[in-house]
Amino acid sequence: MIQRSLIFRILLLLVFLPGATIMAQEANIAEGTTLFKNNCASCHNKNMKDDLTGPALGGVEERWAEYPQEDLYSWIRNSQKLIGEGHPRATQLYNDWNKSVMNSFTQFTDEQIANVLAYIDYQYNFVPEGDETGGPVVAEEEDNSSLFLVIIIGLIGLVLVLMRVASKLNVMVKVEDGEELEPERTLFDVLKSKSMIATFVLIAVVAGGSMMADKAINLGRQQGYMPDQPIKFSHATHAGLNQIDCNYCHDGARRSKHSVIPAANTCMNCHKAIKKGSTYGTAELTKIFASIGFDPKSGTYLEDYENMDVGEIELIFKAWIESQSEEETPEKKAAQVEEEWDAVVASLTNDRKDDFRGPIEWIRIHNLPDHVYFNHAQHVKVGEVDCESCHGKVEEMEVVEQYSPLSMGWCINCHRKTEVQFDGNEYYKSYENYHNQLSAGDRDKVTVEEIGGLECQKCHY
Amino acid sequence: MKNNNKEVWIGHNDINSPELQEIAKQEFANTVPVVDSMADEKVMESSTNRRDFLKYLGFGLGAATVAASCEIPVKRAIPYVVKPDEIVPGVASYYASSFVRGGDFSSILVKTREGRPIKIEGNSLSPVSHGGTSARAQAAVLDLYNVNRISKPSMPWAELDQEIMKALASSKNIRLVGNTNMSPTAKKAMGEFLAAYPAAKAVNYDAVSASGILEANDASFGMATIPSYHFDKADFIISFGADFLGTWISSEEFQYGYVKNRKVDPKAETPTMSHHTQIESYMSLTGSNADNRIMVRPSEQGSAIKAFYNALKGSSMGSDLNEKARTALEKLAAKVKAASGKVLVVSGSNNVAEQVVVNAINEMLGSYGSTITFDRASNQRQGIDKNILDLVAEMKSGKVDAMIVMDANPAYDLPEASDFAAAMSKVKTSVFMSSVPNETGALCNYTAPTPHFLEAWGDVEPKKGMFSIVQPTISPLFDTRQGEESLLVWASSANLDQTSDQPYYEYLKANWEASMFPMQNNFMSFQSFWDKTLHDGVFTAKASEPAINMVADVNAYLNKISKPGQGEEIVLFETIAMGAGEYADNPWLQELPDPVSRTTWGNYFGIPVSWEGGNSMVTYKDLNQGEYKGNADIVEVSANGIAQNITCIASFGLATDTFSAALGAGRSVVGFAGKNVGTNSMSWLTRDKDGNVQYFNSLDAEPKKTDLVDTEFPCVQYHHTFGITGQEDGKEINVDEKTLMTIGEGFQGGLTDRSIIYQANLSEVNDLKAKIAEKRDFAKHLNDATLYPYEEYNEKYYSQGHHWGMAIDLNACLGCGACQVACVAENNVPVVGKEEVSRHHEMTWLRIDRYFFGDHENPNTVYQPMMCQHCDNAPCENVCPVGATNHSSEGLNQMTYNRCIGTRYCANNCPFKVRRLNWYDYTTADLFGGNEVSVNGEEIPFGADNLTRMVLNPDVTVRSRGVIEKCSFCVQRIQEGKLTAKKEGRALREGDVKPACQTACVTGAITFGDFNNEDGALAKALDSELNYLVLEETNVQSSVHYSAKIVNRDEAIS
Repeated sequence: MIQRSLIFRILLLLVFLPGATIMAQEANIAEGTTLFKNNCASCHNKNMKDDLTGPALGGVEERWAEYPQEDLYSWIRNSQKLIGEGHPRATQLYNDWNKSVMNSFTQFTDEQIANVLAYIDYQYNFVPEGDETGGPVVAEEEDNSSLFLVIIIGLIGLVLVLMRVASKLNVMVKVEDGEELEPERTLFDVLKSKSMIATFVLIAVVAGGSMMADKAINLGRQQGYMPDQPIKFSHATHAGLNQIDCNYCHDGARRSKHSVIPAANTCMNCHKAIKKGSTYGTAELTKIFASIGFDPKSGTYLEDYENMDVGEIELIFKAWIESQSEEETPEKKAAQVEEEWDAVVASLTNDRKDDFRGPIEWIRIHNLPDHVYFNHAQHVKVGEVDCESCHGKVEEMEVVEQYSPLSMGWCINCHRKTEVQFDGNEYYKSYENYHNQLSAGDRDKVTVEEIGGLECQKCHY
Repeated sequence: MKNNNKEVWIGHNDINSPELQEIAKQEFANTVPVVDSMADEKVMESSTNRRDFLKYLGFGLGAATVAASCEIPVKRAIPYVVKPDEIVPGVASYYASSFVRGGDFSSILVKTREGRPIKIEGNSLSPVSHGGTSARAQAAVLDLYNVNRISKPSMPWAELDQEIMKALASSKNIRLVGNTNMSPTAKKAMGEFLAAYPAAKAVNYDAVSASGILEANDASFGMATIPSYHFDKADFIISFGADFLGTWISSEEFQYGYVKNRKVDPKAETPTMSHHTQIESYMSLTGSNADNRIMVRPSEQGSAIKAFYNALKGSSMGSDLNEKARTALEKLAAKVKAASGKVLVVSGSNNVAEQVVVNAINEMLGSYGSTITFDRASNQRQGIDKNILDLVAEMKSGKVDAMIVMDANPAYDLPEASDFAAAMSKVKTSVFMSSVPNETGALCNYTAPTPHFLEAWGDVEPKKGMFSIVQPTISPLFDTRQGEESLLVWASSANLDQTSDQPYYEYLKANWEASMFPMQNNFMSFQSFWDKTLHDGVFTAKASEPAINMVADVNAYLNKISKPGQGEEIVLFETIAMGAGEYADNPWLQELPDPVSRTTWGNYFGIPVSWEGGNSMVTYKDLNQGEYKGNADIVEVSANGIAQNITCIASFGLATDTFSAALGAGRSVVGFAGKNVGTNSMSWLTRDKDGNVQYFNSLDAEPKKTDLVDTEFPCVQYHHTFGITGQEDGKEINVDEKTLMTIGEGFQGGLTDRSIIYQANLSEVNDLKAKIAEKRDFAKHLNDATLYPYEEYNEKYYSQGHHWGMAIDLNACLGCGACQVACVAENNVPVVGKEEVSRHHEMTWLRIDRYFFGDHENPNTVYQPMMCQHCDNAPCENVCPVGATNHSSEGLNQMTYNRCIGTRYCANNCPFKVRRLNWYDYTTADLFGGNEVSVNGEEIPFGADNLTRMVLNPDVTVRSRGVIEKCSFCVQRIQEGKLTAKKEGRALREGDVKPACQTACVTGAITFGDFNNEDGALAKALDSELNYLVLEETNVQSSVHYSAKIVNRDEAIS
């Protein structure tokens, strides 16, 4: 995928390279990208091909082609005004989309709108499915191991050929000298010779041993672990699209050893208003409401929720799902309600928890052994390490996975390389020698290792 | 009698008995069980052949493969639904509260993690407990998670209330039986109950009571209260059997005051300290800390007080006290006479006449108004012994038809407990209010369980006008209701809002608004006053000194003092751990060694040792010859006509024909930890003519040796043997000794003259300084010839950042054991049980070694807290084959459990013997079962259940079988302190890092800090010529410094 997009980009670059205007176009697209992400992306799909809250925007200019360009521009700035004026396309669109109102962007200049449209066009026509980043791609280091393999096999072949030649020459010399010839050894003889068997056994033991050591080392490690969670919570939507800061929900990361899985009331800060999801509609968000006891229809918390009758609660949420259902027939609606509610109950309960009320039991992804002490605050607040460096690009993960191996070697390597944030933290003043060396220019940095970051009892106690 | 002040010893076997000295020279005791079992021929013949080995290997590989292919279990992360703002998961919150149990009190801070209390710390704002905690307070957090707690009332609360109210309404005589109650609000609630039921009467008593003092003060001054004793203001402290540093009235407060005048300033030209004389029959914790001990028989206690009074008065009345004690007391009297106003005389006697005379002595010495004041009268002992005696009589006559037992245990802890138990059948309605079952509860019809104090609201007034708050730190774990609330419900109180969420909380608040709020004028609104009080945990109101008039006729009381008895006598005493048995179901306290006898799990019969014939120590009737091998004799002892078997322990400091036994053992209805541990000595108690309980008795006959031997003698300190044995000229010799001694004094000081304890009398401080200097110089000289590049390491690592160290003041350490329990609680140290302790498998990271010195029959004592010394040239680190123990750049000797394979090389090579191996799966942490040990015969190993596990500190790994563990200098606290400083972007401050032992200690004996911090408390503590390193000559470069023990002994008095 990466290679394909790389090639595509290079081609794209080659196509556009000749004209300086094209470079300007590029700049416009860049600005358009930002504008789109900040203003439009919450309702319009960024692949421009699928509908979201709002329609897919790909080919928007063609669809508005029969009207003057300023009509489209004023639609984008203030759609309600255009509808009020009785613009035929505007009215039709409004009715087609269940009379949902598009936000106004009166602050947009013509140039900005043009940029956004350019970005939409670029995204629609040129960016292949799946690659939604639009960002630069870093070329990966080339893997040369296959080349080595070919060379080694070639060399082994060469050795065999040369050995064969040598033995033939030997035979010829013997014939010439008139010595008696030993009966020629067949391949079978060679294979069952003691030295050959010993070699095979050796290879088997070494390979087996190395494999066992490898597997043993990886026991209990779960890099790439990506379990299904009770709620299909998308970090891509929250952290990526909506750019919510990691620390907003994981508020322990700066002050505690735990980064903290947010409580349901943290979700409610936003979802009291956003009651329907962009991807799953009511299916996922109802789980939060059912956990905490929030009636989305009335927008209020249910009083004495833990003692309420389960049947009563069921009715409240079923009514909510039904009211939001987009199915056409009542039967289909009823089926959707049943299906969604069953899924809500199933995901909020498990073999130890039979009530859907109460905490949402997430599947823990990052599991350290009990004898390891890890503190988020030390790394996030003091070390100023980005979340990404251990957790990967979470803002792109639809389903979160364990990005790093979380092995001791991995920790140690980082501690060896990472520079301590000496500046501005009075605490580190106690490391006088290092400060002196730094100011004398004898050293350019102090790594975590050098202040004891590899010692056992920094993490094991 | 020989008096050798230079010698230090541990047990009586150490002293010059040639035979035992010979044994002491050997590396191993005579019988080594392993050798015995190896001698069995069959064992030697059995072998594991190659094929078996391969089979096991194959199985091992197969098992590993199967294990490897197992799926990793799904773990869940469960967040809050609505997260409370004040909780950050992973960060501890502290709440101010109070530890109260009867008359025991400490103002505390409770450390909670994710809503569960895991550790108790002292509250330094308290004017009573001064930031200190007792071992009992430290262990109280474990009681919260006691699996034996009563989980629900005997019937649903509504029904219970109905039945009880109906029964009470028709009762003619209702009795509320309880111990000391220090809560003003609880008293108010009780008052409401008594008003609602005119037939009701409250009966207060204390199992170990101060009834004698209360009545004596009533007689002397017309005030039935206990005054404030100011040990810090006294130059001379004279205690007639009062264990004020251990268990008497308010020990933390007294320890705090006492030590103020006991720390020696080594820089002073003529250093001073108070002089403490203890007149007692057995060696108590207080007696062991005294400068001079005068030994009297228990029944001579009164005569001793009388003799001292007469000596002060100058009257030459004849005395029936033994000659030696009388002379000593006369000399003491002459000495203190001049120091009027600087003397404090206390007595633990529970006899009114004796206490009135003590009051008269104090009056004569001008103590009132200086060392004794009444402005802050103590509420810590309120029980009057006579009342409970009357109650038993009333019960016997069938007069009492309803009884409410409030957290007391009269069916166990009274001298007439069996009478009480029998009479219980005549009480129609009996209600038991407690959180744990006991002997009395088992006899009651109804149970109204109460919460643990960490789940409850309340207040305490330990001393007049000094209030402390009890606030809950966790929701009640069980279906319990506070006793005060129950009383109010039964009284149908109009002041209790039963519809409220927390009715008693509202009641408490209302009472504070009405009663305590007007006592101050700092706050205008009640809410701000309440908030501040809750935050601080304490509130102190003004108080004034009442006028004191001595009204009693002392002569009349002098005549009432009874004459000494004859024959064998037993003294019965309260220990720091067990109290009067109410702490028996706490395994941490069961496993806490008694400070003086060093025994755990039960009580023991102290038998005297004496110096006979001028050259050997002998025990009473030659009992306990095998004590140092873990075999103690069991004797039959009879008092009050009740004969029981009890295990002996050879004890120093017992008067002639005197024996001792601790109270609080042999409980029958109690949680698993205390069940039938030790011998019930409560039944040996007796009463005087006034009905006050006397804590001694005469024995019916000489203790009789039985054929039984306790082979599980759980004593933690009788190690005598070091060195390797070998043969020379057919004789067994100590190889180490021989080798070293033949080359002069010995390369490392030899084994005969070790620098473990330095001690001296106050008058010889300068000599001691010179001795320490000389010894340390010599050690340095030896250590200079080292290959160890200490200077280089010092420069490279320790000179910057942190270099952790500790200073321990042996003069401030009183041996109370609070630090040891604090360490257990902080570091998840397992409980191993009696049998394992008897095999020296106890796991405590911090132990308190007790050494004797001085007079062989009546020695002085030094307590030495001993934990990992964090040697910078650690012998343990060099021998670990897997690098599981190594050194950090901050000077910590690190122990990495997951690397450890249990070779025990490190433990063998540790000169301080502070490394502990998990011989069994004490924590039930193993994947496979069957390696656990049973604690006190319990089927489920201690700590195997989820309730008990809630007490674990989540920041400290729970160790599994086969790994070594030891003191880490509370590295989790070091890391936490450093992180706090880093997060705030500031330098580490003094006090950011304090290990658990330091925070538990009220006397400040332990100072932890950074050697690199030149202005810190550690640097100050180290700036003393009395400082030394234990075994410095071994060049281990340890990081724990000790300050020598100084006593202010007067050879004339003793």
